[in-house]
Amino acid sequence: MKISKKIVLIGHFGVGKSSLIRRFVENTFTEDYKVTIGVHILKKEVTLPKSNDDITLVIWDLEGNDDITNTRPSYLIGTNGFLYVFDMTRPATYQSLENDLDYIKDRYPNIPLKIIGNKKDLVTNDFIKQNKDVFGRFVDFYTSAKSGTNVDDVFTNLAEAVIKEAKK
Amino acid sequence: MLEQYKKEYSQSVNQYIVVDLDGNILESDNVIFPDVVGKNLSDIHPFFESVHSALLEPNKRHIFSCIHLTNPENQTIITDIIVKTFDGKQPPLVAILDLTTHYDNYQTTAQVRNESVINSQILELKNEYLQEKEAFKNAFIANFSHELRDPLTGILTFSDILKKTHLNDEQLNYLRVIDSSSTYLKQLIEDILDISKIEAGKLDLVISPFNIKQLLEDIQSVFAIKAQQKGLELITNFNDNLPEIVGGDALRLRQVLSNLLENAIKFTEEGTVTFNASLNQIRAQKASIHFQVKDTGIGIPEDKLEDIFTSFTQLNNSQAYKGAGLGLAIAKHLVSLTHSRISVDSTVGEGSTFSTNINFILDKNQVLKSKKKDVLTPPKSNRKFSILLVEDSEITQLSILKILASRGNYFLDIVTKGEDVIPRIENSEFDLILMDIKLPNSYGDEITKLIRKMPEREHKKIPVIALTARVMKDDLKRYKKAGINDVIQKPFDENTLVSKIEEYLK
Repeated sequence: MKISKKIVLIGHFGVGKSSLIRRFVENTFTEDYKVTIGVHILKKEVTLPKSNDDITLVIWDLEGNDDITNTRPSYLIGTNGFLYVFDMTRPATYQSLENDLDYIKDRYPNIPLKIIGNKKDLVTNDFIKQNKDVFGRFVDFYTSAKSGTNVDDVFTNLAEAVIKEAKK
Repeated sequence: MLEQYKKEYSQSVNQYIVVDLDGNILESDNVIFPDVVGKNLSDIHPFFESVHSALLEPNKRHIFSCIHLTNPENQTIITDIIVKTFDGKQPPLVAILDLTTHYDNYQTTAQVRNESVINSQILELKNEYLQEKEAFKNAFIANFSHELRDPLTGILTFSDILKKTHLNDEQLNYLRVIDSSSTYLKQLIEDILDISKIEAGKLDLVISPFNIKQLLEDIQSVFAIKAQQKGLELITNFNDNLPEIVGGDALRLRQVLSNLLENAIKFTEEGTVTFNASLNQIRAQKASIHFQVKDTGIGIPEDKLEDIFTSFTQLNNSQAYKGAGLGLAIAKHLVSLTHSRISVDSTVGEGSTFSTNINFILDKNQVLKSKKKDVLTPPKSNRKFSILLVEDSEITQLSILKILASRGNYFLDIVTKGEDVIPRIENSEFDLILMDIKLPNSYGDEITKLIRKMPEREHKKIPVIALTARVMKDDLKRYKKAGINDVIQKPFDENTLVSKIEEYLK
């Protein structure tokens, strides 16, 4: 039996949520920035490498918001996993990271959450080291939607966590 | 009739679907998604796969705004979707409201807003980056020039001392080379520091009364010799109606005019350099004076006229014209501090004319206070003065020792570490302290604060003169606040050092 799980991407606008999904689902990338309003929903079937489970990820691409408390609660109904995305080149997108994560964990305590520092193609490893106080503490994956770095891994890793949580 | 109008004009694009608790479609109209009865909601769009749980909660009304769906024509529509559940056996209702036109407008607004915010964040970051880079550059220049100043002080001082010894002609020639090279190096360092101060916005004019006619004559005598050495003629025209005493920054005016004249002589191989000064007008106790420096040199191409005022720019990079390319940049900035500008007319192969109008305060009651003494005279009393030198640089220690020893009326005591200063003061009596600012593990201004807090009244009152290359506006404020009486800027010459010391020992 095929399992379907809802994954929600959240974070400030312009951090690359839509680009990550497009890279994962369609394996494409565009430099043109088109603002997401409301929600786009795409799905992709994946076979998890560890468990060999087939799973359909229904991926909700939420419009970016610089205040997580403004996220419409209806969008989050039935969420099985969160991806919190920020843009490593714009501090404004991770200045409230800790508070945002507390907000999510407080309201959705048992739902797997992965934190992504996106636009890795635009920063150096030295830059990441210099910002280890923020990045090192929280980030699960450094990704680049442009080059595809770690994009598949992010989704499969979260899917594994979602399945693991579901089996509890 | 109403029903007919509604049919004709209503653009209702809402679809109402009745489903069971598993999402199977029981009833539906066919407005957006036709022929869906018998199918499951999740067959319409993946959106519905994720809202099954909402169907199971009785008596709830969930509104999902701005959901992007794909219609059977494969077009994206933007909808609000309402899921309403009821009590008991009544099946849930799903309403899909097509609001594409409305949301398209919102999309346009959001696009503009977000792009604007992102661009301003990026600009802010770039600005921060540039400021950090600028601060680093200024700190680098300040530190680097500081490091250069100690050895340069040594070269200048010992050149002077060497001049007073018995040298043969060949040795004197060598000494002249050392002298002119170190003077040139000193000028370069001062120019670099000036540019760094200007760019950091830390250079202010110091307005005081001075004799402008005297200043122009001084400049004339210096540059007449320079011009003559190059086989040029310096022609000067200073109008008789120029005021004598004006209020302005004499040091910076001299710098501007010297830089223009230096530039004119440098780029002129034959002919003349003309230096004019005339009174434009006197109005509201202000005199506007027109200065002009005209040469018969190589000239500047028209498209390069703006570039010549940029720091480190020399249009002619050939070895024939040495220099860092700072003179005109400094002159331009200094003139801009007087709310004026330098204009230039030039023809390649014929020469250039630089002109500026500068305003000076004109107050006939002002009396010129001549502070500078060209001839050094020791203090009148026969008393010997005791001076404490706090300095870690051996070159500077030796320079000061030699200078003061040659005067014959000073005892010099030297400490090299900040922590030794207070004990030395407690155990001796000093008439004056010369204090280096950057010492190993401590700073001269911090030590001065401790001196000013010493319990003995006579200790508190000892004049402290800082010896430092750090003379930015903020530095000077800090020194004053710490209780430092005066500052001697490194590199210094014998005259500067001795006259400053004597000023405080009278």
